[in-house]
Amino acid sequence: MEVKLVEVKGVSKTFNGVVRALDEVSIAIRQNEIVGVVGENGAGKSTLMKILVGVFPPDKGEWYYRGRKIPFPQNPKEATKRGISIVYQEKGVIPCLKVYQFLLLGNEDSYVKISGLHLDKMKKHAREILEEFHVKCDVENFMYELPLSTQKMVEIARAILSVRLEHEDNNITSVIILDEPTAPLTIEERRELFSDILNMKKNASFIFVSHIIPEVMEFTDRVYVLRDGKLVAHYDLSKEKITEEDLFRAIVGRESSEYIYKPEIKRVVSEDVVLTAKNLTKNGCYYDISFDLYKGECIGIFGPAGSGKSEIINTIAGLISFEEGVLIVKGQEVKTKELPHVRLARGIGYFSGETGKELFLNWTITKNISIVNIEKILRKFVPVISFNAEKQMAEKIVQRMRIRTPGINTDCYSLSGGSKQKVSIGKWLERSPDILLLEDPTIGIDVGARKDIYETTSEMKKSGISMILVSDDPKEYSILCDKIMFIKDGRIQKVLSPEQFKKVMAT
Amino acid sequence: MKIPGRKKLIPPVIIQTLKTHPVIIVLITLFMMFSSLYPERFLTPLNFSTILKQFVTLTLFALGPSIVVVTGSLDLSYVGIWMLGGILVWLLMPILGMFSILVIPLLGLATGFLIGVIQVKAKIPSFILTLSLLVTYSGLTATLSGGYPRPVRGYEFITARLIRYLPTAFLWSIPIIIAAVFIIKRTRIGTYLYAIGSNEEGARLAGINVDKYKILAFTLSGLFTGIGSIILFQHLGGATPVELNLNNLVWPLVAIVLGGTPLIGGSGGPQRTILGALTFTVFYRGLLLSLLHPQAIQLLVGLLLIVSIVVGTRGLKGVTIT
Amino acid sequence: MRGEKMMVRLLISQEWLRRNMTTVGSIVAAIAIIAGFQVINPFFLRYQGIITLVYAMSYFLIAACGLTFVIMMGSFDFSVVSLLKLAALICVLYIDKLGLLVIPLALLICVGFGFINGLLFAKFKVPSFMATLGVSVVVEGIALYLSKGFLHIMYDETFRALAITFIAGLPSIFYWAMGVWIICTFIAICMPFGRRTYAVGGNPIGAGLSGINVERHRICVFMLSSFFAGLAGVLYMAQLGGGSMLIGKDMTIPLFASVVAGGTALTGGVGGPHRTLLGVIIITWIQAGMLMLAIGRDIQMVTFGLIALGMSIVTIDRRRIKIIK
Repeated sequence: MEVKLVEVKGVSKTFNGVVRALDEVSIAIRQNEIVGVVGENGAGKSTLMKILVGVFPPDKGEWYYRGRKIPFPQNPKEATKRGISIVYQEKGVIPCLKVYQFLLLGNEDSYVKISGLHLDKMKKHAREILEEFHVKCDVENFMYELPLSTQKMVEIARAILSVRLEHEDNNITSVIILDEPTAPLTIEERRELFSDILNMKKNASFIFVSHIIPEVMEFTDRVYVLRDGKLVAHYDLSKEKITEEDLFRAIVGRESSEYIYKPEIKRVVSEDVVLTAKNLTKNGCYYDISFDLYKGECIGIFGPAGSGKSEIINTIAGLISFEEGVLIVKGQEVKTKELPHVRLARGIGYFSGETGKELFLNWTITKNISIVNIEKILRKFVPVISFNAEKQMAEKIVQRMRIRTPGINTDCYSLSGGSKQKVSIGKWLERSPDILLLEDPTIGIDVGARKDIYETTSEMKKSGISMILVSDDPKEYSILCDKIMFIKDGRIQKVLSPEQFKKVMAT
Repeated sequence: MKIPGRKKLIPPVIIQTLKTHPVIIVLITLFMMFSSLYPERFLTPLNFSTILKQFVTLTLFALGPSIVVVTGSLDLSYVGIWMLGGILVWLLMPILGMFSILVIPLLGLATGFLIGVIQVKAKIPSFILTLSLLVTYSGLTATLSGGYPRPVRGYEFITARLIRYLPTAFLWSIPIIIAAVFIIKRTRIGTYLYAIGSNEEGARLAGINVDKYKILAFTLSGLFTGIGSIILFQHLGGATPVELNLNNLVWPLVAIVLGGTPLIGGSGGPQRTILGALTFTVFYRGLLLSLLHPQAIQLLVGLLLIVSIVVGTRGLKGVTIT
Repeated sequence: MRGEKMMVRLLISQEWLRRNMTTVGSIVAAIAIIAGFQVINPFFLRYQGIITLVYAMSYFLIAACGLTFVIMMGSFDFSVVSLLKLAALICVLYIDKLGLLVIPLALLICVGFGFINGLLFAKFKVPSFMATLGVSVVVEGIALYLSKGFLHIMYDETFRALAITFIAGLPSIFYWAMGVWIICTFIAICMPFGRRTYAVGGNPIGAGLSGINVERHRICVFMLSSFFAGLAGVLYMAQLGGGSMLIGKDMTIPLFASVVAGGTALTGGVGGPHRTLLGVIIITWIQAGMLMLAIGRDIQMVTFGLIALGMSIVTIDRRRIKIIK
C-alpha cells in the first residue's frame, strides 16, 4: 500500500530559544505498515511524538493527511480526530479497572443512560473489540490480573478504538504510536506482543519508537533514525539489506569527536578477585550470568536496552533481588535479597547518572558528599560531625572535580546536570569503595563534564577500585573498560577486549 | 477456577463474593460467636434495633469519605460538617423555620467543594487539609454555640417510630446508601474515580480531567455527609454537640478499612463500607454485652483498627508510604 | 569581572534568603505577636506572665522536639499526646508503690510503643499517620483503664521537685526543656543520627544507597519521639501535681502546628529542632495572648488549625512531589 496516511515535513522545535530538539525532520507513515523511529536518549524521538499527538505544536513544519495539508493538532483530542493515538511506555495502564472499563475509558458517552452505564452493552462491545484484535482475555478481569504483554495489547486496542470512536468510522486506519512498548516486558512476553502486533497490521499502522535495535530490525518495515534532532537515515528494510551494525552506527554516529580524548587507562589488573557471579538468574530479566571481577578492573556489560544489563547492575547494588545463582563479594557469599546499605557495607557503591536517584537534591553539595563519608568527618573521640572537616572535604572534591558552582553550600537543585553528576562521582571518589557500579554515568551531560568524569573514573581505577559499567554509549565502554561482556536477551553472548569491541563497532 | 461439569454445593457467585469481601466471613463469625455466647442478650429484637441504630450513625458518617478514599485521598471533615451544620440549624431556626435543616447539606456541599478546590489547586495533602478543616469547624461550632448544647425541636418526625424495633433512621438511610453505591459502581463518575485512585497519572494520560473529578469526589463526600447529617442530627439526640469526640472520627475510618477499602484507593467504596460498618457495630455491641470493662473495649477497638489496617495494607507494592 | 562577582554575591544572598525564609519569617512573626500583645495589654510581659508562659512552653517544647524528628523524616506521629498522657498517669498512679522508679517505667513503656509505631511503619508498611493513630487509640484505652477516668493527685514532693524547683527565678522544668532542646538540636545538626534522619526524609532510596539502614533508622526515630513524649508527660505531671484523662486535651493540633510553624516541612528533609523552638514560642505565646484576651478555646483551635494549614502550604517542597493525594 503506497498511500501515505500521515506525513510531516520539515518539523522543527526549539525549547527556550536554545535547545534545538528537532531540526527539519520529515517522516511518513503508510497504510498497514510498521515504521520504526530510533535514536539515542535526547535524539528527539519523544519530542516528535509529542508533536504528533498534539501535546505541543512545532515551530515549523507541515502536516499532510492522505496528501491533504492540514494544521497540526493543538491537543490530544484533535490528534485522535486526525487518526493518531499513542500508547505510553509506562503509567498508561490503570490496574484496578476491569478490562472493559479500561478499554472504553474516556469513551463512555454512548453507554450513558439515566440509570447509570449500560454495563452489558459495554461488555459486549469490549468482547467484540478484543476478539477483533485477537487479545485473549476476559473482559471481567481486572487489568492487574493480566500478564504485561496482554495489558499492552489492551492498551493498543484502546488506542485504536479511541480513534475509531472519534471518527465514528470503523474503517478508518489509525496510526498508533508505540512508545518503547517492550521496556517493562520479559523476553518471552516481547515475542508474544510482537506477533500480536503483526496480526493487527491490517487494522492499523504503527510507529514504533524504540532503541532496542534487534526488535526494530525484526518487526518494522521502514526505519527512521534521529540523532541530535536531525533525521540522519531512513532505511526501507524490505528493499535494502541493512545490518544491526549499520543501524547502530547511524544512531551513534561515526564521526564522533568524543573518541579524541583517551585518558590513559592502566590496564594493570591484579590477581585478586573482588566479586564473583555464578549463574545469576532472575526469571524474565537475565539468566546464568557468570563472571569474575578483579581488583582494579572495569567490566562493561553492553547490550541493547532491555537486554538485562540494567537489572544485573541493580541486582549487585541491592536494589533488586536475584533468584538463583551465587554472588560472592570479597570472599563472602551474599544473600539473594539484601538492601543497598548492606551491599555498601560489603564495599559496593552504586552511582547512577540519573541523579535524582541517589543525590539529595535539596541538600547542599557539602552534605551530599559527606553523607557517604560520615566516618571520615567525625571528631576524634566523640561521634560528632566536625564541620571543619566536612567543609574541607567538600572543598577538596569541588576543586578536584572542577565543579562549576558559586559555593559548596549551594543546593544541588540549582546545579546543572553535569555538575550534579560530578558531585555524585565526587562523593564516591572520596569514599573509595572496593567496587563501584556505574549506571549511565554520563547521560545527558556536555562533553567537558564527560571528560572530567572519565578522568575521575580512571583515577579511581588506578587506585584499585573495581568497576562495573552499564551505559547506552558504546564509546564509554572502549574508554573505560578492560573487558566488555555482550549481553542479549538476558544472556552473555561473548566477552571482548576493548580493541575487539572498537573493531566490532566500527565495521 | 471453575471446573465445568462439576456439581457445586455453593453457587460460585457466593464463593466469589466471599473471596473479594473477606469481611463478610468476619461478620458471620462474630455473629455466631456472640449468638452462642450470650443468646439471651444478643438475639433480642432490642439488641438488633440498637445495632441498626449504631450502624446508621456509622454508615452515614462513613459514606461520604468512602467516596473520596476511592480516589486515594482522605476526607476527615465529616464530623465537622455534622457539628457545624447542627449549630447553624439552631441559629437559623428563628429565621427559616423548618427549612433551616436544609442548611446542613448545603454546608456539606460547600465544604466538600472548597476542600476539593484547595486540594487540587494548592496541592495540599488531603489528610492535613481535612483535619485542619475539622478542627476549624469544631472550633466554630463551639464559638457559635457559646459552649453549650443547643437543642432544636421540630424534627422529631425524622425518627418517629414507624415499625417496632426498626429505627426509622435506618429506613431513611437506605436510599442514601443506595445512591452512594450506585454512583460508585454504575456511573461513569465512579469508573473515573476508581481510575484516579488506581493510577492518577494514567488517568490523566487517558484524557480524564483529573482535577474536575477529584473536586467532584470531595463535593459528593460533603454532600452525602450533609444529607446524612440531617438524619444524624435528630438520630443523635437533636441537641447539638460541642465536644469533638475522637470516637466519631475514628470509628467511621475503622468501618471503611474493615470493609476492605484500601486507603490508597482504586477499589472498594461505599458498598464495602456498609459491610465494615455492620461488622464493627456487631463487634462493638457484642463486646458491650459481654460486660467487659469499657476501657478494655476501647483498647480492643484500637487493636481492631491497627489489625485491619495492617491486613489491608499488606500486599501493596510500589507505594510510597510516609 | 566585577559584574560576575556581584552576580555571585547576589545569587548567594538570594539563595540564603530562600533557604532561610521560613526562619526569618517565623522570627518576624514571633516579634510581631509579642509586640502586638504588649501593645494590647501592657502588663503582658510582667513576671507573672512570663512564668505562666514558661510553664506552658516547657513540657510542650519537649514533646515537640521529639515530634520534630519524625516530621523531618517525612512521617507523622499521632501518638505523642496520648503517650504523654499515659506517662503522666503512670507516674501519678504508681508513685506510691514504686517511688521514683515510675519514671523509668513510664519512659520504657513509651519507648515500647514507639517501637511498635516504628515496626508497623517500617516493617508492615502501614502509613505512619494510620499506624500512630491506631496506637494512640490503644494507648488512650490503656490510660482510661488504668486511671478509671478519675482525677489523681500527685503528693510526692521529690517527684514534684523535678519540675517546680525554682532556680534563678525560673522553674526547673524550664531547664529540662532547654536541655532537651539543646540536645535535640545537637543531635540533628552535629550527629550522624540527625543527618540520617534528614536523609531518609529527603530521599529514602538515596539514603539506602548511601549506606543507611532505613528500616532500622525509622524505628529508632519513632522510639525517640515516644521517649520525649514520655519525658514531657513525666515532667508535666510533676508540674501539674495531678491529672486525669484530660491531660493533653486539644494538644495535638497546636503541637503539630508548632513544629510546622518553626519551618520543618512535612515533606521531610528540612527543618529541625532548632526551628521548633521558634514554632513553640509562637504557638504558646499566641495561646497565652488569646487566653489573656479571653478568646474562647474553640477559636483558639480554629486559629491553630489555620496556622497548621498555612504553614504546611508554605513549607511543602512541591519540587519533589508530583502527585499529592
